[in-house]
Amino acid sequence: MSTYHVVPRARGLLAFVAILALLALAGCGSSSSKSSSASAGGGGSSSSAASSGSGATSVDTSSCGSKPGVKATGTPINIGTIDTHQPGTDFTDGPNMITAYFNCVNANGGVNGHPLKLYVQLDQSQPSQVAAAAKQLVQGDHVVAINGVFDLLECTINQSYWKSLGIYEMDAGIAPECWSTPNSAAVNMGPRYSSDGAVQYALDQLHAKKIVFVQSNVPGTGYIAAGPAALAKASGVPITAMTENVPITDANSVALNLVNAAGPTGSVVLNFTPPEALVILQAAQKLGLEDRVKSWGCSTPCNTDFLAKALGPKWNHKLFVNAELTDPDDHNGPEMQLYKAILAKYGSSVAGGVGSFSQMGFVLAKFLTQALQTVKGPYTMASVNKAIVGIKNYKTEMLCDPWTYGKVGLHIPNHTDYTTTPENGKMITVQGCFNISTADPQIAQYLSAAKAAGVSTGQ
Amino acid sequence: MHSLLLMALSLPSWQNEQPFLVTGLALGGVYALSGVGMIVLYRTTGVLNLSFGAVGAFGALIAWQLINHSGMNQWLAYLICVLFAGVVTLLYGMVFGPPLARRDPLVKTTATLGLTLILLGAMDLLWTSSGGASRAITLPTDNHGFMIGQVQVTTTDVIGLAMGVVITVITTAFLRFTKLGTAMRAMANDREITATLGVPVRRVEAAAWFGCGVLSGVAGILLADLVALDATTLTFLVISSLAAALIARLSSVVVTFVAAIVVGVVDAALTPVTSLSNYRDMTPFVLAAVALLVLNRRRVLSLARQEF
Amino acid sequence: MAETAELTSAAHSASPPSAPPRVERDLLVRIAVIAIALLFVLIGLPQILSLYYIDAMTQVAVYSVVALGLGVLVGRVGLVSLGQAAVLAIGAWVAARLLFATSLPYEVVLLASGVITMLLGTLVGLPALRMRGLYLALITLMLAGAITVVLSSLNFPNGGHGFSGYNGSQVHIPPIRRPGIATTDPAYFRYSVIVGILMFLLVLAHVRTRPGRAWAAIRQSEPAALAAGINTTLYKLWAFALASFVTGVAGGVLAGAVRYLYSIDFQTQDSIILLAVVLMGGAYSIWGAIVAALFMQLLPAILNDIGLSPDWLTILFGIGVLQVLTTAPTGIVDQLPKDLARLGRKIGGLARRSPASEGRAP
Repeated sequence: MSTYHVVPRARGLLAFVAILALLALAGCGSSSSKSSSASAGGGGSSSSAASSGSGATSVDTSSCGSKPGVKATGTPINIGTIDTHQPGTDFTDGPNMITAYFNCVNANGGVNGHPLKLYVQLDQSQPSQVAAAAKQLVQGDHVVAINGVFDLLECTINQSYWKSLGIYEMDAGIAPECWSTPNSAAVNMGPRYSSDGAVQYALDQLHAKKIVFVQSNVPGTGYIAAGPAALAKASGVPITAMTENVPITDANSVALNLVNAAGPTGSVVLNFTPPEALVILQAAQKLGLEDRVKSWGCSTPCNTDFLAKALGPKWNHKLFVNAELTDPDDHNGPEMQLYKAILAKYGSSVAGGVGSFSQMGFVLAKFLTQALQTVKGPYTMASVNKAIVGIKNYKTEMLCDPWTYGKVGLHIPNHTDYTTTPENGKMITVQGCFNISTADPQIAQYLSAAKAAGVSTGQ
Repeated sequence: MHSLLLMALSLPSWQNEQPFLVTGLALGGVYALSGVGMIVLYRTTGVLNLSFGAVGAFGALIAWQLINHSGMNQWLAYLICVLFAGVVTLLYGMVFGPPLARRDPLVKTTATLGLTLILLGAMDLLWTSSGGASRAITLPTDNHGFMIGQVQVTTTDVIGLAMGVVITVITTAFLRFTKLGTAMRAMANDREITATLGVPVRRVEAAAWFGCGVLSGVAGILLADLVALDATTLTFLVISSLAAALIARLSSVVVTFVAAIVVGVVDAALTPVTSLSNYRDMTPFVLAAVALLVLNRRRVLSLARQEF
Repeated sequence: MAETAELTSAAHSASPPSAPPRVERDLLVRIAVIAIALLFVLIGLPQILSLYYIDAMTQVAVYSVVALGLGVLVGRVGLVSLGQAAVLAIGAWVAARLLFATSLPYEVVLLASGVITMLLGTLVGLPALRMRGLYLALITLMLAGAITVVLSSLNFPNGGHGFSGYNGSQVHIPPIRRPGIATTDPAYFRYSVIVGILMFLLVLAHVRTRPGRAWAAIRQSEPAALAAGINTTLYKLWAFALASFVTGVAGGVLAGAVRYLYSIDFQTQDSIILLAVVLMGGAYSIWGAIVAALFMQLLPAILNDIGLSPDWLTILFGIGVLQVLTTAPTGIVDQLPKDLARLGRKIGGLARRSPASEGRAP
C-alpha cells in the first residue's frame, strides 16, 4: 500500500480541518464575548452609579483610585500571580478580576502616580511548572509582590521560595500550606475551615447526633478531615470520614451509602467541587433520600446560584452551605456597588461575572492597593512586602471581620463566616457572621500565636 | 489470610446490601447504554467509536444551553441534541470513513479519538468551569417512580435500563432479519466483496453512522441526567463502558448488555464494603481483563486476520 | 502482506532501508549532526532559555523516553499499548518511595525503579502473548484504568511512613530530593538529557541487533517469524520489558523534576493522548519520540505562555491524530521533509511561472 495516492485527498482534508478549526474559532470568539457581556450586564449598576454611591468607603473616597479620572503614567509596579487553568478547573476569574481592579486604579491616578501591572502565570497543576512560574515572575518579570494566587498546589510548592526572598503572598488557595506557613495569608477559608463551618452549623444549630464527612479523594484529605473530627469530638458526637474517587460515576450508590451511614438523626457534610457536589445531591433527590437524614451540609464551593438553580426547590432549607463571602445579592453597600461597577466597566474577561472568585479577586486587589499606598519611598520587594505583612484591620464589606496579615507562624485571617441555603434558585443567608470554633486545634493555635505577636484577630 | 478475615468481618449485612443491588442495576444500565451503542457500529462498520461519549456530551450541553439560556421547550432541545449527535457522527463517518476503510480496526478506532479530543476541547472552551460553574439536566421523568425495598427508583432509571434492552433487541433483530442489517453485517466482514455484490456500501455505512450518532445523542441526554452533565466525565465514561463490550469480545450485543449489568451491580455492591470502597472503580477494568484473558487462553498464535 | 501489520507496513514501504554502501557515510554525518545538536542542548539551551522553558524542556526529556518506549512497542513490534502512562506513574511512584525511604544515590534509585517497573510493566504486556491489534490496545487500557485507580487510592509518597509512604494529614510536605550534582533547574535539565541519551542508546542497541531483527520479523508476520524459528513469546515480552524499563527510569527522572507527585496528574486518558502524540510524531523513527515529547510538553508550555487556553491543545491533538492517521501514517518526522520538499517544488514552480503570467498581463 503506497501513501502517495492518498496525497491529493490529504490536502482537501487538511483544508477541511483548517476550515473546521476556523469555524470553531469564530464560534468560540463570538460566544465568549456574548457570555462576558451578558455577565457584565448582570452586574446591574453602571460605573457612574458606583462613583456616586461609594462616597462612604474609608480609603477609596470617590472611586477605586486616589485621583479620579487621572491616568497613571509613572513607572509601573509589577505584581505577580500564579493560577490554575486546566480543563475542568479554571480559576482565571480571580486574576482577571484583579486585572480589572488594577485597570480601574490605573485610570484613576494609580498608586501615587504609579500604574499597577499584573503578571499572570497559568499552570495545569504540574508541580514543576508551578515552581518555574514563581522563579519566572521574580527573575524574569521582576515582580515586587505576589498577590491573588488562585491555585490548587501553589502554596505547597513555593512556600520555602517565598520565605527565602522575604515575599509575603496573598492568595485564595486550596493547599494546606496557604494557612499554615509564615509567608502566606488567604482571603478565603479553604477546605478545612470551611468544612469546619459546615459541620459546626449541623452540630450547634441543628443538633445532629452524628456527622458523616465526605470529600474527594485528593492529597491532603487527612489534614482537612482533622478539623471536622476535632469539632465533633468536642461536641461528643460520633463522626465518620469518607473519601470518594472523582469523577463520581455511581452517585446513587454514594448518596445511599452516606445516608445509611448518617442515619435519620445525623448530618451529611460534603467537601467537593460544585459539579461533584451537585451530582451527589441530585442522586440523593432522585432516590428520595433528602429527608432521610437530619440535614445536608456543604463547604463553601457549593455556595453558587448555579447549584441552587440546578437543585431546585426540594432543597430549600435542607442543605446548609458554609459561605466565606458576603452575598452580593442581598447586600448593596458602597463597596459592593464599586465591585459590580468595576466588573461592568473593566471585567469583560471575568467569565463567571458576579461570584465568589471575582469577589475574592476584588478583596485581594483592594487590600494590596491599600497597602501600597502606605509605602514611603521606592517600591522595592522589601518595602512592598513590609507594607503587605503590615496589613492590619483592613475592612471590607466582602468579609465578616477586618483582615490582618502580621508576622505569625500561620495565618487564618478569615475565620468568621456565614451559612447559606438554597431558596428558589438562589443561595440566601440563614446565619450571619459566626466564628469558627476553637475546637479545631489549628484555629486555637492561630489565635494564641496571633495574640502573642500582637496581631489583631477580630475574635 | 488475616486481611481476608478482616474483610469478611467488615462485610455489610444483606439488609444493608440490598439497596445497592438496585442502584447497581441503574449503573449497569448506564454502562449498557454506551457499551451497546458502540457495539452496534462496530458490528456494522468495524469501527469502535470512542467518540460516542463526547458526541453525546456535546449534544447534551447544547440542549442545556438551549433550555437554560434560550428558554427553548425541553423536548425540542433534546431532539436537537439527538439530531446534532447524529449529524456530527454521520459527517465524521462520511469524511473519515472512506480513507480509513481499508485500514486496521485499531487505526479506525484511534481515529475516532481524534474526533473525541476535538469535541472535548471545544466543550471545555464553550462551557467553561470558571467561577465554579456546574450544570445539570433534569428530565421530567426524574419526578416519577416507585419504591423497591427502601430505594426510590425513578422513571429515568427505568428508561435507561429499558433503553439498553430495547436497543439490544432491535439491533439484534435488525442485523439478523432485515436486508439492510444483513448488508451491514456482510460489510463489516468484507467491504469490497459486499460492494461487488451490489450493496450500496456508502448508503449502508451512512445509515450505520447516523444510527450510532442518534444513539449517542439519546445516551448523552440520559447519561447527563443519570451520571453528570460534565464534558470530561461523559467523554471518558466510554472507557469503563468498553469493559462490557470487551467481555462480549466486541461481537455480541446481548452479552454486552448482560456484562454491563454485572459490572454495574458488582461495582455498586462494593460501595458499603469499607475496605474495598475506594477500589470499586476498578471493577469494570478488572472484570474485563480477567474475562479477556480467560476467554483467550486457548489462543496461542495471533493470526490477525481472524482476530478482526 | 497481512492486513494487521498495516500500521507498520505503511511505514516500512514509505521509508525503505538505505542501500548498504551509503550507510557508512550517512552514519558518520548523522553522528556528527547528533553530537552538535546534543552539545547545543546540553550547553547552549540552559543559557538562552528562561526557567519556565527549562522546566518544559526537562519534561520533554522525560517524555521523549516514555514515547521512545511506546515507539518500540508500536513501531518495532507492532504491539499497541494504551497503558504506558500508567507504567510511567508506577515508575514515578517507585522512585519517589525509594527516594524518601533511603539515601541511595539517585542513579541507583533510577536503576531500581527501572527494574521494578520492568517487572510490573511486563505483567501489563502479558496479554500481548495471546492477542494484538485492537484487543491488546483495549486490554492494556483496562489495565491502565485499574492501575490509575490503585494509585489514586494509594496516593503518591509525600514523606509519610508505611508501605504507601503517604500521610494525608501532613503539612509542609518535603520535596522529592534531586541528585547532589543536579539540584538547580538547569543542572537537572542536563542530568535528565543525559539519562535520556543513555536510554536512547540502550534502545538503539536493541533495535540494531538480534532483538531488533526478531521484532521486525514479528511485526511483518507472526506465523512467519515462528516458522523461522524465532521465539516470539520471548521477544514480545522482551519488548515490553525494555519499554517498561526505560519508562520506569523516565518515571524516576520525572519524580526529581517535579519534586511533588499527585495522583491527579496521572489519568487513564493520558495513555490515549500519549499514543496520539507518538503516532503524530512518528512511531517508526527514534526521532519521532522526541517530536512526540515536544508536542506533549513544549507545545502546551508555549500555548500557556502566550495565554491560549489548554483546550486549544486538546483540539489540536485531535486534529493531529486525524491528519496523521488519514494522510501520514509514518508521523511528522517522516512526513515533514516530504511536505517541505513538495512545498519547495511548488514554490519553485510558481517562481518559474510568475514571469510568464506577468508578461501576459495587459
